[in-house]
Amino acid sequence: MSGGPAPGGTPQVKSLNCPKCGATLTLRSFTNAVTIVCSSCHSILDAQDPRLRILQTFKAATDEDPPLIPLGARGTIRGTVYEVVGFQRRTIHVDGMPYSWHEYVLFNPFKGFRYLTEYNGHWNDISILRSVPIWSPGASSLNYLGETYQHFQTAQASTSFVLGEFPWQVRVGETAEVSDYVSPPRVISAERTGKEITWSMGEYMAGRDLWKAFKLSGDPPVPIGVYENQPSPMSAAVKNVWWMAAAGLVLLVVLMMVFFSTARDEQVFSQSYEFNTNVKTEASFVTDTFELKGHTSDVELTTTSQLDNKWIYLNYALINQDTGHAYDFGREVSYYHGYDEDGFWSEGSQTDSVTIPSVPPGNYYLRVEPESDFYRGTIYYTITLRRDVPQASFFGLGALALLIPAALVTWRSMNFEHLRWAESDYGSSDNDSDDSEDDDDPQRPVQLGIADDGDER
Amino acid sequence: MIKNMLLLYGIAVLATVAVAEYRGWSLNRVDEVLNVPKSVRDNPGSYRSVYGFYHHYTGGK
Repeated sequence: MSGGPAPGGTPQVKSLNCPKCGATLTLRSFTNAVTIVCSSCHSILDAQDPRLRILQTFKAATDEDPPLIPLGARGTIRGTVYEVVGFQRRTIHVDGMPYSWHEYVLFNPFKGFRYLTEYNGHWNDISILRSVPIWSPGASSLNYLGETYQHFQTAQASTSFVLGEFPWQVRVGETAEVSDYVSPPRVISAERTGKEITWSMGEYMAGRDLWKAFKLSGDPPVPIGVYENQPSPMSAAVKNVWWMAAAGLVLLVVLMMVFFSTARDEQVFSQSYEFNTNVKTEASFVTDTFELKGHTSDVELTTTSQLDNKWIYLNYALINQDTGHAYDFGREVSYYHGYDEDGFWSEGSQTDSVTIPSVPPGNYYLRVEPESDFYRGTIYYTITLRRDVPQASFFGLGALALLIPAALVTWRSMNFEHLRWAESDYGSSDNDSDDSEDDDDPQRPVQLGIADDGDER
Repeated sequence: MIKNMLLLYGIAVLATVAVAEYRGWSLNRVDEVLNVPKSVRDNPGSYRSVYGFYHHYTGGK
């Protein structure tokens, strides 16, 4: 038998025997333990009584709910060595379905008690609050140290399984009303038993960090679903990605101003023609040669005609006189209008423009072949060519492309928050109305409250 | 990691827009024909556009 704190705050143990079954009990938290549970016969004993008075006996298989972090395991949390001294399972019922989570009682002789909770692979490091938050009963939020916590859920939690030592009079079947207020990655829990309220704060922890701290073998359970105070992996990214999108848009505008101010946008050809539809002869012709200067860039061809309930189709070929390289395209100009039972109508336009992409410099001419209905008189039209005309379309597409990541990240973040709050007291009505869906949901977040009126840390 | 990827993505978008603008890219599709004979200048009717065989009337309502 040994007792008392060891140098450096390393936990020590003390051995006792269960008064009911005689099994050896290991007392790790000494006089700090209020109750101790025999792991053999599941008797809850009064640790403050030298004779270890039996307070309660509950039925449970020895391996009914083995702790993921075994009793007696030691690990360093926030620079302090803690030993796991107690373990309990607590349960809430929502729509008749039980949802259980696990709580681990940690002890250090100098720092006192600390707690860990685990639900579906989500872990929280819990400590009892030293001061009461600014809060009023039934409020949808509370304030603690200047930070606002939103109410998430209130439910009756009952203790359904216990092992080890506890700094309070633990009982299987004891109940408490637990309310959780979240501000990820933290959660504040108010645990009401009678007129007494215990406030605790939890901070979300990664299972792998605990496995490392306690030097546990294997891997921690993979977290399932989104937990009530789980920090969103996207929350920081949302702000960053929008800042980056904004910076990109500013650069895009600068780029646009540069291109629009430096583009040649030069008229290189303009000529008016007439097309007599009453004469059935070869209509095609070629224009004079004109020079396209500068680097490879676009050419904008505009066809204008004062059409009136007529159409003209022009087969164009922009041909490089030296290389024989031709750009073939056809354009229609048509304009119709009139009156019907709905009043005036019109369709088409008397002007048409097209951009011919990436035309190298050189000497060019146009081959033009007009078409229209026969015997519609003479159609007058003008062809104008401009070189190196800035195009706004690519800047528009660029702006959209820059906004896509920001939109995606925002959507993911909103989806994460939707999943978080879907299982709260404020979840969507879809979940409330679909009982069967709720009943099968293994991911429902549950309260993190500690059934403790014990040590503050 | 994500920040760097986004940065690279943004640079790629801006670079693409700049190249597209400088080189005069267009969303229009234009057929290109190589080696058009020089005789077209003297006899325009000897060249037929690939669009020349369609019926083009779209008319009014």
